[in-house]
Amino acid sequence: MQRFLDPVVLATISSLELIARTVIDGFVAGLHRSPDFGFSQEFAEYRPYTQGDDLRHVDWNLFARTERCYLKRYEGETNSHLTILLDASNSMHYGFRAPTKADYARYLAASLFYLAIHNQRDAAGIIVFDDDVRDYVPPSTRTGQFYRLLAALERAEPRARTDIFKPLTQLHALLHRRGIIGVISDFYEDPVAVINALEQFRFKGNDVILFHILDPHELQPVLNCPSILRDIETREEIEVIPQFVDTTYKSRIQTHIEQLRARSLSAGMEYRLITTNQPLDQALREYLSLRKAGV
Amino acid sequence: MGLLAPWFLAGLFALAIPVFVHLLRRHITTPRVVSSLMFFERGVQSSTRHRRLRYLLLFLLRSLLILLLVLAFVNPFFRRTGRDKDALLLVVIDNSFSMHSGSRFADAKRLALQLVAQKPHSQQAQIMALGGQPQTLTQPTTDEVQLKNAVDDLQIGDEHASFAELAQSVHILAQSWTGPIHLHLFSDLQRTAMPDNFADAVLPANVHLILHPIGTSGRQSNWTIVNVSAPSEITDPSAPHTSRVTAVLAGYSTADSDKTVTLTINGNIRSTQTIKVPANGRLPIVFAPLDFGYGFSRCEIRVQGDDALSTDNTYRFAVRRSDPRKILFVHSPRDQRSSLYFDAALRAATHGFFLLQSVSSEQVASITPDRFAFVILSDAIALPPLFERALEQFISRGGNVFIALGLEAENHPKIPLWSGSLQRNTNFNPSAPAAIGQVDFTYPALEQTKPGPDKGGWGEVKILYAASVNPAGARIAAKLNDGTPLLLEKSIGQGRLLLLATGLDNLTNDIPLHPVFISFVDNAVRYLSGAGESSGARTVDSLLQLRPSAETASDKGGVEIIDPDGHRPLSLTQARITPVFRLTHAGFYQIHFANGRDAVMGVNPDPRESDLTPISPEIQSLWAGSGSSDLTSQEEFASANAARYQATTLWWYVMLAAFVVAVAETLLSSRYLGIQREEL
Repeated sequence: MQRFLDPVVLATISSLELIARTVIDGFVAGLHRSPDFGFSQEFAEYRPYTQGDDLRHVDWNLFARTERCYLKRYEGETNSHLTILLDASNSMHYGFRAPTKADYARYLAASLFYLAIHNQRDAAGIIVFDDDVRDYVPPSTRTGQFYRLLAALERAEPRARTDIFKPLTQLHALLHRRGIIGVISDFYEDPVAVINALEQFRFKGNDVILFHILDPHELQPVLNCPSILRDIETREEIEVIPQFVDTTYKSRIQTHIEQLRARSLSAGMEYRLITTNQPLDQALREYLSLRKAGV
Repeated sequence: MGLLAPWFLAGLFALAIPVFVHLLRRHITTPRVVSSLMFFERGVQSSTRHRRLRYLLLFLLRSLLILLLVLAFVNPFFRRTGRDKDALLLVVIDNSFSMHSGSRFADAKRLALQLVAQKPHSQQAQIMALGGQPQTLTQPTTDEVQLKNAVDDLQIGDEHASFAELAQSVHILAQSWTGPIHLHLFSDLQRTAMPDNFADAVLPANVHLILHPIGTSGRQSNWTIVNVSAPSEITDPSAPHTSRVTAVLAGYSTADSDKTVTLTINGNIRSTQTIKVPANGRLPIVFAPLDFGYGFSRCEIRVQGDDALSTDNTYRFAVRRSDPRKILFVHSPRDQRSSLYFDAALRAATHGFFLLQSVSSEQVASITPDRFAFVILSDAIALPPLFERALEQFISRGGNVFIALGLEAENHPKIPLWSGSLQRNTNFNPSAPAAIGQVDFTYPALEQTKPGPDKGGWGEVKILYAASVNPAGARIAAKLNDGTPLLLEKSIGQGRLLLLATGLDNLTNDIPLHPVFISFVDNAVRYLSGAGESSGARTVDSLLQLRPSAETASDKGGVEIIDPDGHRPLSLTQARITPVFRLTHAGFYQIHFANGRDAVMGVNPDPRESDLTPISPEIQSLWAGSGSSDLTSQEEFASANAARYQATTLWWYVMLAAFVVAVAETLLSSRYLGIQREEL
């Protein structure tokens, strides 16, 4: 089943739902062979009923015996909110081979939604942004939420330029409950500014995970001769020589990655660098580890 | 230096390939899209310079390789005379009268200049003009300026071109020039310029003839007056048998048409006739009677209308009107017949233009010969000394005397005016008379254009008596069959002495009884009286005898000639010594001879120049010795001229250089590849 996690294979599937299901099924099947990770529907605790709780979760057997109204809770069942911040700027359109960063990001988001909604029964929502908030689906567990999220992913075609700070500012007004915030982007911004902007969510008790999506050729570009490079967002063109790419560029992008990683960790956020040729289970493990950590 | 295939120079555009690969392709590429230029820096200057320096040598080698390959296809060569290194470039330009037609002469000069400009600098060349007698304009030289000036200065003439004379001149030149001769003939190649005997036009073996026909494809139809029969001198204009002018109008390559012919005398139109001439036909036109004033009348017969050669539409001749001239006929007292025969023949021949005054030798002492056209001594050997001295002075001043030796010569061995005495007298047996064995028909007194098989009538003459004189210093015009000179001429002073070794009566011969006697009298009288020399018409390039011989030139009297342009072609020195003058221009010449006589002559181009029909291509090929000499177009001319010189191609050298460059390029590029493998 591992081959179904290969992004190249997933790129041949047009349905996001099928992709997500394939990924998660394969992923879960893999988990059964793993002794380190796992979750269950075992009973965890009772919690006194408070007004507004869903009556479907009331343990009526216990109410019959004790005439006290308790809610029954299970291991692995959270009421966490998963909110994915998906970068849909033009830079995500880049891809030396299929899939592009944008497609990979959508596969990842769909898989996370499927895992969260169907397996963890978490509320999941999405915010699609480029230089503004283009689409917003509030986290919810209602029926049909998964398809609403997939619809939002379908609409998230890359366009415009990246301005991560403006949508993050708006997110403060949208997110009222703490939960897990996954930011999927290529993060072509100043790492200090990015971390500073995301720290605000961390300060509110959210768990923040940065999924840094890059194409392998962005990490190891191949340039045989002096070439003209065009910025996919700004359309600016400059001539670059291979010697620069082989030396200075690689050191610069590695420094950029290291800064993002270091500052994320120092701010209590998770950071995961994912290249588009990697299987999706890396990201899913990251999510589950966070989920298991106590949310 | 030249290029045999210059169109392949377009292959130089292939040089754009290394330029593109090495210089342009590095810059003009399809931009590669990246997510962000956040981590990139511009590096164009350093990279380009680096690339250029790194591959500069390779770029040069590749460019040089392409250049050499293109040059190999272009096939460069340089002109080298090679085995024809000592070849003489003989440029012959036809400046004969027919070159007046259209732009023939200008075209010939232009092509000749082009040929001179294209010759190798080291090759010697010589310029000749073909009109009339071939004229050498330059000696063999490599000086192109001198050659071009000679061509530029060449003027068109009125003379007749003769390829036979050209061949003769080239034969003389070939004797002095041991190497090959490339003869380029720029001419309209008239058929009439080719001699009847083709062998006369054959060139030496070391001469390669290249023909450049000029104007042979254009308009060829031409009208002209080919001949005019008119009296050169006239005494009675009202006489219908003498006062008439007959002109022959001829058309060459012409169609049926009506032509108008006009006769003008001294600029005044006297008669105009329109006749219908058939295609390529010729018709006589008679103008009679004509009224001429005393003195010289300059007459022109003009064909109206335009044709290919308009300059030959006018025929010029001069007519002199005067009173009848007297001839002093001195005979011996016993000779009464000769004057009768001679006078009868004179009247028949000259139509009263001459009057014969017959005088016995005993009565001649008081007569001055200067009043007569010439003097005839018919068997008058014994003359009064006074008259004999007067005759000596008369002949030294240009007078002419005709002596006929009859039976009286047997008694007087000394012949007046003739140096030397009578050697012997021969009386032939009447049953076996002597005959005339040899006749010089070019001699004016015996002139016949086409003498018959009976020696022009002289073969039937019987000679019963002939005196044998010393022929030293004399021209023998006729001989008997035993070798005895019959007719002799000797020049004395400015005059001539004509001696007939037999008499003018029927006792010593039967000449007066034959028709040839009339023509002889006619020719002799005209010759001795100078009647034909003072007027009439001549053909361009004909010779005019100014004095009997060069030895008779004196400082006392000179000849004055005024040509049609009003110039005096002879210097003062030449006017005193020149015996013969060549009439080279068409028009009226005015001559004042040393003996005081005046003459006006109409000179016309040779009528053969009016026939513009070129030589047939077969004859041209035969003459040139190969079929590669008909150069009618500029391209053919240029290519043939280029082929004239050995083109030493540089193809092999260029390919060898290309091979060396290819090897160097391979080694150098392999070195770069080797470095890249080490890097990997």
